[in-house]
Amino acid sequence: MAAISIRNVSKSFGLTPVLRGLDLEVADGEFVSFLGPSGCGKSTLLFCIAGLEDLTAGTIHLGERDMGHIPPRDRNIALVFQDYALYPHMRVRENIAFPLHQQNLPAETVQKQVAWAAELLGLEALLDRSPAELSGGQRQRVAVGRAIVRNPAALLMDEPLSNLDASLRVRMRTEIKRLQKELGLTVIFVTHDQEEAMVLSDRIAVMNAGVLQQFADPMTVYREPANQFVASFIGSPQMNFLPGTMAGGALDDTKTLGVRPHDLVPTRRAPNDALTIQGTLSLIEPAGPVTFLDVTLADGTLIKATCADPRTYRPGETLTLAAPRANVCVFDTASGVRTGALAPPSDDSLVGHTSDEAMAHGI
Amino acid sequence: MSGATHAIVQAPPLRGRRTERVPAFAYLAAAPTLLVVLLVVGVPLGYSFFLSLNRINPITHRWIYVGFGNYAALPGNPDLWAALGRTAYFAGFSVIGTTLLGGIFALVLNARFPGRGLLRSVVLVPWAMAPVSVGVLWSFLFAGDFGGLNGLLNDIGLSSLATPWLGNGFRALNLVALVNVWNQAPLTALMLLAGLQSMPASLHKAAMLDGAGPMRRFVSITLPWLKPSLLFITIIATINSLMAFDILWILTRGGPGSATTVLSWLGYLLSFQFFKFGEGAAVLYVLTALSFLLAIFYFVVLGPRRTLPQSSAGLAALPGGKRVKTMATLPPFRPRARLLPFAASRVLARGGFWATALVVFLWSALPVVALLLLSITPAADLIRTPATVVPSTLTLDNFVSVLLPGSVAGQVSSVQAERVPLSVLNSFLVGASVAAISVALGTLAGYAFARHEKAPAFRISLWALLLTRMTPGLTLVLPFFIGFRTFGLIDTRTALIVSYCSFLLPLSAWMMKSYFEGVPRSLDRAALIDGCSRLKMLWKILLPVARPGIVATAIFCFLASWNEFLFALILTSTPKSQTIPVILAGFLSQAQFYTYGPMFAATVLSIAPPVAVAFLFQRFLVQGALSGAVKG
Repeated sequence: MAAISIRNVSKSFGLTPVLRGLDLEVADGEFVSFLGPSGCGKSTLLFCIAGLEDLTAGTIHLGERDMGHIPPRDRNIALVFQDYALYPHMRVRENIAFPLHQQNLPAETVQKQVAWAAELLGLEALLDRSPAELSGGQRQRVAVGRAIVRNPAALLMDEPLSNLDASLRVRMRTEIKRLQKELGLTVIFVTHDQEEAMVLSDRIAVMNAGVLQQFADPMTVYREPANQFVASFIGSPQMNFLPGTMAGGALDDTKTLGVRPHDLVPTRRAPNDALTIQGTLSLIEPAGPVTFLDVTLADGTLIKATCADPRTYRPGETLTLAAPRANVCVFDTASGVRTGALAPPSDDSLVGHTSDEAMAHGI
Repeated sequence: MSGATHAIVQAPPLRGRRTERVPAFAYLAAAPTLLVVLLVVGVPLGYSFFLSLNRINPITHRWIYVGFGNYAALPGNPDLWAALGRTAYFAGFSVIGTTLLGGIFALVLNARFPGRGLLRSVVLVPWAMAPVSVGVLWSFLFAGDFGGLNGLLNDIGLSSLATPWLGNGFRALNLVALVNVWNQAPLTALMLLAGLQSMPASLHKAAMLDGAGPMRRFVSITLPWLKPSLLFITIIATINSLMAFDILWILTRGGPGSATTVLSWLGYLLSFQFFKFGEGAAVLYVLTALSFLLAIFYFVVLGPRRTLPQSSAGLAALPGGKRVKTMATLPPFRPRARLLPFAASRVLARGGFWATALVVFLWSALPVVALLLLSITPAADLIRTPATVVPSTLTLDNFVSVLLPGSVAGQVSSVQAERVPLSVLNSFLVGASVAAISVALGTLAGYAFARHEKAPAFRISLWALLLTRMTPGLTLVLPFFIGFRTFGLIDTRTALIVSYCSFLLPLSAWMMKSYFEGVPRSLDRAALIDGCSRLKMLWKILLPVARPGIVATAIFCFLASWNEFLFALILTSTPKSQTIPVILAGFLSQAQFYTYGPMFAATVLSIAPPVAVAFLFQRFLVQGALSGAVKG
């Protein structure tokens, strides 16, 4: 296992820039997710690390070694592809043994190592099947087996769970996390599913349009998003954005407020330190543990709030929603950059001020 | 072909699914194609089998039923064994040659490099040309006294090496096979390229990361992936080379002596030169049987292994707790010792690639350029001794004499040259009609086959279609001749259109079936729910979606019809219905030196539409190959 350091990496396809000057340090044994919408360059960055794409500028180090002129086959990096890329004409056993055979290891070692990987992944009964005879989840496991069997310096995964159905996806991600901790793997995991990234990662790198937006641990990314893009990409349903003027006169239009639906609950008597908003309940969406409430504000904006028990509410009624001020993000409207949390109301002054502590976590 | 592998990997076979009721529309749609195939292929095939059971006196036209006597006499005929040996050699040479060359072509054309589209088109040209045009070109290049090859040798001072290339028996057999390879290799390349393109890119990337080098990846990944395509390609290449006829007719006519008399030529000789219809038919039936047996043999050797149905067992939870097996102690990862620095080996690989691409380009383009040059060389230059390839001047006279006979005062076009414009028109009319009919009927049938493949009636008729695609034209041409004579259709364009449709309809139906299989069924259902009738659904929804497939099919049918020689030769006798390949062959058999110039001009005309198609529709052709199109 090794640390990976990505320094000022840029990549263009022809004239189209895909990655623009990225810097990232992944520590040894760390689980890092690259998260972003499709086309943001996360997979390209992964392929650059693997050596499947050449860099336009910058360097990538694996441990101490500069990977610049090292072809993929000599990097000792394993990659689990989105479509698994199992060799269709080889049995599971041969698939898993393939990377070991390339290193000319003695047959005995290969056999032992394949048996180890098969047991680790519960594939022992499937070793003589061909990939066509496996289910999606089984194929995924074989792909992981082929990747870890040679003890690679780093394990890269390109949306490995996106082809599985929902319940299997949740199970497999737990398995991947367990495996990573047990083997102490350095993992880079590409996904567009923010929940997956939150659950799995030690740190998340949020990317958009080839630019790194934020690189921090999951709760920091969730609570203190660096900017409006990160705030809207992380969390489901999406964060509500409101004009700064709704902060009770403390802010003006140059600021935008961000409130997560989970922080915004209906209340009869708003506490003093809360941000309160009034609106008309238009739709009730029960989702099990919580229920989402669609609320229309006076200016026509639709926002989402949550409540535990919707039975007392009727569409059409007027609700007062409240959110703890500390959980409300304040963004600069022009740049979208988060400037801090909404300050508690002060008695002597109506001039809003924003805390700077969040800036430390941003970029 | 490769599509099938894909399906195997991705979608488990649906078993035990309730069979759907086949709507009457499907039967109606497939009926015309099946009827044509049955009437126009099945009946003649049966008739020619009947012929082979008889001995027919060519003078008195008396039929004597001999049962299997013709077949029984074959083993005692030394000519047959000699021809069989030459056929085996010719076919072996062709199959190995086309597969190797086609493989190299496909690998080069599958790479990404500037100019790939151009190279793809250029590589396709030798195949798009009619075998007759190919034969005319190479017969001049190989010719003894005035030939292009000898001329080139003279020009570069190697006149001692000049020789009548086709004069030596064994050399002639090899050269004819080589020309056949030149003509057929692009088809193999096209089908292999389609197979390569269907390979998921991630396979090679994964193997790269697993530490496999280029050679290892070719052997372990590419070759196994191409195996199902290779099965079909070898079958097609084998049948094509067993049935090779046009090139032989033009280049050597079975000679010198009998050095290039292969089975197909022997069958032709017996039937149409000696008018021993029964014996000829027997020889041709042996040839047909041979190609079926070889197809079955390949299928057994190269065919797909049966895979177990996918287990329905769910995914067991990962075993937790104590594990029995421990990790093996792996030696620390050591990158390979490299002979050359990374940058240098990269440059070397790049250079090697471009060199190969250049060779591929020259191999395909040089002979065609030579043909163009010949067509604008004054006729007198072509018969100079000592021969040279440098023309004394360039002229368009040859084109004028074949395009506008009699228009230039003082210039006399030969009789044969005067026939060219009409023959080009004939070729166009026949080609366009055949393409239109085949596409119209083939699309209907292809749709029915694609959607109801499992229905017993369609399963059987699909096999029948496949069978007709393996039937050699030589077996059919005699019953056709007799049939058309009966109906007074001999020497008409209609006869040509009917006969071409008979063997192009199965091809067209097959191509369209493959294409429709890629069109989601939900489209049909959506259209039906939205209120379309089945015909309207096909017309309004599916045809626009399937347009690329239709274009590819139309092109294949047009090309096959434009380039066809055997039927045109036998079924037509006067310029009013002769097509351009027949006229070209006529130039050659008259062998008048002063018509060489116009002959090459006519040859250029004959390859112009196919070459234009290769350049304009190269993308469609690759697509067509992908959908399993196979044309000789």
